[in-house]
Amino acid sequence: MSSALNRRAPRRPRNPSWWYGLAALPLFASHTAQAVPAYARQTGNACADCHAGAYGPALTPYGMRFKANGYTDTDGNGFKIPAAMQITGMRYVPKQGQSTTDLSEADLYLAGRVTDQIGGYVKVQSLNNGSGKFSTQLNDMDLRFAVKDVKLGEQSATIGVTVNNNPGFADPVGDLPGATANGPPTVSGTLLNPSSSNTLAHRVIGASVYALYNENWYGELGTYNALPTSMQDHLGYGISGDPGKLSDTGYARFMYMRDFKRQFFSVGAVALTTRRQLPRIGPTEQLTDLGYDFTYQFLGTKENILQLAYVNILERRRYATTPTGVLPGQLALTNGAVHDQTLTLSYTFKQSYGVVLAHLVSTGTHDVVRFQPYGEPDTSSNTFTVFWTPFGKDDSLTAMANLKLAATWFRFNKFNGSSTNIFGVDPASGAVVTDAKDLDAFLVSASVAF
Amino acid sequence: MSNSVLRRRLGRMVMAGVFSSWVLASPFAHAGDASAGSDVFKSECAECHSVKEGRNKKGPSLFGIVGRAAGTAPDYAYSDALKQAHWNWTADKLHWYLSQPAKQANPGTKMKYDGLSDSKQLEDLITYLSTVH
Repeated sequence: MSSALNRRAPRRPRNPSWWYGLAALPLFASHTAQAVPAYARQTGNACADCHAGAYGPALTPYGMRFKANGYTDTDGNGFKIPAAMQITGMRYVPKQGQSTTDLSEADLYLAGRVTDQIGGYVKVQSLNNGSGKFSTQLNDMDLRFAVKDVKLGEQSATIGVTVNNNPGFADPVGDLPGATANGPPTVSGTLLNPSSSNTLAHRVIGASVYALYNENWYGELGTYNALPTSMQDHLGYGISGDPGKLSDTGYARFMYMRDFKRQFFSVGAVALTTRRQLPRIGPTEQLTDLGYDFTYQFLGTKENILQLAYVNILERRRYATTPTGVLPGQLALTNGAVHDQTLTLSYTFKQSYGVVLAHLVSTGTHDVVRFQPYGEPDTSSNTFTVFWTPFGKDDSLTAMANLKLAATWFRFNKFNGSSTNIFGVDPASGAVVTDAKDLDAFLVSASVAF
Repeated sequence: MSNSVLRRRLGRMVMAGVFSSWVLASPFAHAGDASAGSDVFKSECAECHSVKEGRNKKGPSLFGIVGRAAGTAPDYAYSDALKQAHWNWTADKLHWYLSQPAKQANPGTKMKYDGLSDSKQLEDLITYLSTVH
């Protein structure tokens, strides 16, 4: 009986186009715009106060504090309905395969303040599955109870509890893959990477206690458990992606951040450990993620904003089984490691025009049995995005709605451990040879939020 | 120099003195750079305050702030501390208030601000705010 990680051992795909979709989907998710005008209505703020590009997800320090305060800050001017909608249309042009143009996503956000101490963010998304039908899923959820201005000596703190379904999503700085949905596309990524197979994202439920002390020091401790497969199914997620039965799961996040108004930086560490059975009646494997991250923002007068983020997560694995290879005597390793890294640089002009560059790398321990055909799970890719957000500023026509137009180019340098013939087919057999660059794609999207 | 020229010069000096006194006493007066103050406002204040009339954020609109009585911006839910402050936001009062942590200047206020220690930036900011009316 194989574990999830064993089952990740690649098989040659019968239908290469399926792999294109597999590789690209996480990237689509990462570049799907996020906007919650309900927060703007609640606070009287412009979208640009919380988001560098006047449209999510990249947060300014002010947006980070709003999040840490449990989404409860308000202009004090009456109750606002904590709901918003977003509709996205997309033109998708893969290097190989058929281009599509369609209404790709409709989202409902239940987001905002319930009381002075209770608030949240819940995204329900309806995705076009390509055949004219939409499938609805519960996307990210972050429900908070936060007590603000707690006096601790001479300083004050915010202390709270978050109940969420995606490790890393609740992070205030928002640079972890769970918050950006921008982990490296990979055949075998870390637990904290929502692009990994059998990812925890949206299929678990967890709670953390957190504290933000003196607006500089942040600490969070929590745990997660996998949702029953029947519930995953009800929430719109097929059971084939079940993260398995989790036990002894712990999540920790510590960070120092400093807001100089015109500049901001943070350094942090993150850890996630669990024992997992996949299938749920199978043997247990031990997975431990340890990571660190660094962010810097030049904000100035917000005319020119530069944001830099680097995240480095190492996952150590003690596998449940050691399957044999094709050749006599070949045996999989009992221990291994995978390593996800993201480097993101963005520039925004007048909080309206922006460029985002991202370099995404996933590597792993050489294991010829688990990672066929080359024994390497390594992937390397880049994204290049330009966007325009005409509204969402203080002097915009309306704070009630927002628009984002974006174009993104996805570029793969390496996939499945190789830049050429990534599925290791025999060219002499007549099989189609797929190179990493054949996974490249171009995407144009328009998102409207109100 | 003739007496008439001397009288005219003295008259100008007196008028200049009267004008300077009026300027210094005016709630709108300050000697900073309003353009530079606009930049200070964007980086220090704009997340919580708007200068648009009637646009309240986490903090009240700062339209017409210089010369306004504290706690009187329409449709803003002030803290009890500021409602009971009973002062006018003159340039000097703003200088005093913004040069220290808000919770020190007005204990009980909702405003979270550590104060602006750069005196040039503070002058520029107050000069800019006095143009917003």
